[in-house]
Amino acid sequence: MSLLINIDASLSCWLLYTAVSWAWGIRLTLIKMNERKTINLEQGRDFMQKGITKLKNILEGLPEPQFSSEEYMMLYTTIYNMCTQKPPHDYSQQLYDKYRESFQEYITSTVLPSLREKHDEFMLRELVKRWSNHKVMVRWLSRFFYYLDRYFITHRSLPPLNEVGLACFRDLVYTEVNGKVRDAVISLIDQEREGEQIDRALLKNVLDIFVEIGMGQMECYENDFELSMLKDTAAYYSRKASNWILEVSCPDYMLKKVQNELLSVYATQLLEKEHSGCYALLRDDKVVDLSRMYRLFSKIPQGLEPISSMFKQHVTAEGTTLVKQADDAASNKKAEKRDVAGLQEQALKEAFEIFCNKGVAGSSSAELLATFCDNILKKGGSEKLSDEAIEDTLEKVVKLLAYISDKDLFAEFYRKKLARRLLFDESANDEHERSILTKLKQQCGGQFTSKMEGMVTDLALAKENQSHFEEYLSNNSNVSPGIDLTVTVLTTGFWPSYKSFDLNLPAEMVKCVEVFREFYQTKTKHRKLTWIYSLGTCNINGKFEPKTVELIVTTYQASTLLLFNLSDRLSYQEIMSQLNLSDDDVIRLLHSLSCARYKILIKEPNTKTISPTDTFEFNSKFTDKMRRIKIPLPPVDEKKKVIEDVDKDRRYAIDASIVRIMKSRKVLGYQQLVMECVEQLGRMFRPDVKAIKKRIEDLITRDYLERDKDNPNVFRYLA
Amino acid sequence: MNKLGRGHRDKVQQFIAITGASEKAALQVLKASDWHLEGAFDVFYSQPQVQSSTDSRCLETLYNRYKDTYTDMIMADGISTLCNDLMVDPQDIVMLVVSWYMKAATMCEFSKQEFVGGLQSLGIDSLEKFRERLPFIRSELNDNQKFKEIYIFAFDWAKEKGQKSLALDTAIGMWQLLFAEKKWPLVDHWCQFLQEKHNKAISRDTWSQLLEFAIGVDPGLSNYDAEGAWPYLIDEFVEYLTENTIIQKGRGKTL
Repeated sequence: MSLLINIDASLSCWLLYTAVSWAWGIRLTLIKMNERKTINLEQGRDFMQKGITKLKNILEGLPEPQFSSEEYMMLYTTIYNMCTQKPPHDYSQQLYDKYRESFQEYITSTVLPSLREKHDEFMLRELVKRWSNHKVMVRWLSRFFYYLDRYFITHRSLPPLNEVGLACFRDLVYTEVNGKVRDAVISLIDQEREGEQIDRALLKNVLDIFVEIGMGQMECYENDFELSMLKDTAAYYSRKASNWILEVSCPDYMLKKVQNELLSVYATQLLEKEHSGCYALLRDDKVVDLSRMYRLFSKIPQGLEPISSMFKQHVTAEGTTLVKQADDAASNKKAEKRDVAGLQEQALKEAFEIFCNKGVAGSSSAELLATFCDNILKKGGSEKLSDEAIEDTLEKVVKLLAYISDKDLFAEFYRKKLARRLLFDESANDEHERSILTKLKQQCGGQFTSKMEGMVTDLALAKENQSHFEEYLSNNSNVSPGIDLTVTVLTTGFWPSYKSFDLNLPAEMVKCVEVFREFYQTKTKHRKLTWIYSLGTCNINGKFEPKTVELIVTTYQASTLLLFNLSDRLSYQEIMSQLNLSDDDVIRLLHSLSCARYKILIKEPNTKTISPTDTFEFNSKFTDKMRRIKIPLPPVDEKKKVIEDVDKDRRYAIDASIVRIMKSRKVLGYQQLVMECVEQLGRMFRPDVKAIKKRIEDLITRDYLERDKDNPNVFRYLA
Repeated sequence: MNKLGRGHRDKVQQFIAITGASEKAALQVLKASDWHLEGAFDVFYSQPQVQSSTDSRCLETLYNRYKDTYTDMIMADGISTLCNDLMVDPQDIVMLVVSWYMKAATMCEFSKQEFVGGLQSLGIDSLEKFRERLPFIRSELNDNQKFKEIYIFAFDWAKEKGQKSLALDTAIGMWQLLFAEKKWPLVDHWCQFLQEKHNKAISRDTWSQLLEFAIGVDPGLSNYDAEGAWPYLIDEFVEYLTENTIIQKGRGKTL
């Protein structure tokens, strides 16, 4: 083990050296291009082989001195030269092959034999060691052959060196031993269940191999290991269940304890990874396995949270792949989605509904669905799908909504995202927007969609308004905003609530606001205008030294940038006080302008995050190959606010429902009241019985209701 | 008194307020004078003062002894002095019962009418009589119906004027006081639960329902109906008890 540590330390020094000498090396070679002697293939290969053999010796623990910096440089430069020589002496392909062969040779001659001769736990240990060594070898050889990664593989669209190296291990070692390994692991786990001590660290390392071998796709882990693991677990538990019931002292407590230990440990193993077993089960619609997993994990505290986030990721991933792929692929995935929605035809309908709502912690599924719709309906989303395909998907979505109990939550998320699409002109197709609203209306009633329809109409009105404004301007040449101004006037009730902050507008924009206000006064005196600057966009010209670039930014960003017209350098504090915004907003703004893709401002110090002690300077040297770029400002996470708003609305809804019921019945028992309340509200959401109880008590305090004197389970309406 | 019509009841009360006579005497005299107040007064004052009627002048004196210097009410200091005179701890629950007799609106305050009226209905017009009556007053708590009335009374009495709910600390104090008399084994757990989980004021509904809970549900919770219309705070209390294995579900044994 200590050997590896040594190697790694020197590796990092070497990298530093390389980085510095890389630039130098380029200059050298450029100068020496003409003077260079051609290396022929044999020579080159032999030379590299020496280096490779040296590396293998070190890994095997043989007495071999470490690589010196000259040796590294020579190996690296040899490759470089052989790749940059003029044809027919450019040997990139041969070197690429040589790279792969080195691994194959080493594995077949040394690694595999050593694994074959060991068994059980010893075999596992050997495997871990060999895998570790292999990774080091890949790292090193990739450094030597690095130049291939830079040009050759991209030109030929080949797998990068890293992948090739790992694939060798997978194809040669893993495929051969994975069966034995899996059995050994499962028997270890069984041992532990029986109460023996096992080496947990070893187990973790072995499982990690399964995951890493997948190289980002979890097939190996899932198919080879996990499914049998889950089967084995299930079998084990059913065996054990009968035993546990017989135990004398508090069986529940014991069960919980044991399950906790085992399941918690494996929960993290099985579920914490990005594409977990749960994901596999979801993908393959293995509902029986899914429900088994659900039952198992629901027994441990927070066992379901990882599952719900997996489900969330899965659906979002599925949703995004759905719209981003080409037609055929899309119809394949859609078939899956259809299957998921089509579960209603099977007896598993109920299981699906419960899973959909409970297992995904309620709000997530409503939010997911809204996000899914947003992806389909916005620009850059599903343009590759045919109209028919989109219609079909929307149809499925609305059907799926029937299974979501928190429809009001869905409505709110949908509304928020619709607002963004409409206001930022991100909507792909008006027809589709209208079509889904019609479908929602049919399914959930007019009240559900009234606000959303209002939003769509509002925009049409706003356009009209704007043309009137332009007329007004042309008729009154003395009032000019000085800039091209488009204003969208929205009706408050329809749109989600937006906080309006008192942004200090730059002088140019103040004039615009004034001019529009005057115009609006001529149209109507009875309305109040509240400006929402957080939703505006600006096109401004950045006069950079190389060339002028047009920047498409939000009003907030524009206000920030315009500050730099008056001074070249500003501190965070100065910016904040001049703009009159909160810390959160300022941080987001400055980040988008100085730490993201386009660095319009130079930040000092040059770290990745904004701190209140930073200073900013206009980056006069900025340029881009495009003449016009859009600088996005990531939106604030609305989720919390949406949930808050919906909760508040629900409280009112429950109150109204209780009062309505009691007013007509005058006297009603508690159970009855709750039942009727749930029924009345069921169209929009499933009210929590506890929440209803609280509202009843609140109404008692407010003297709307009282308990019957003789029977406290009965309520009377107080006129 | 309950058998009288409203008009007659009023007259009796008026008579008592003016003469300081006991209810019994008032009834006697009014009946004798055919329910004419003037006549009744004549009869009364011509008679020698009988048994346990109270002397309004003595009561006046008593009142003045405890009355606050600046307002026409007995305030905290006065009550303190009263308790001293009675050789009773101000925290003693008997003072609650006394307040109940007085129909006192707020704790630590007695208006003249409340004080005088209350003592009259108890037949008290001197400190000795007061001291003598204390055991009787205390014994009222043993009567289930009276206890309930006193318990309900306590809510309005203990809360701040103008507030709808009772502050938690006060409520806890009252509960501990009341349930020391009428034993409820879960009272300590209840108070602890509130301090840990609730930390807000207590509504009237919760207050009154708690008594039902204490009386009706056995300490092992075996007859607790989770689907019932118990205030949610009580539901949470039950959850708290089972979660912390203070009560074992289905076993009915308190640890």
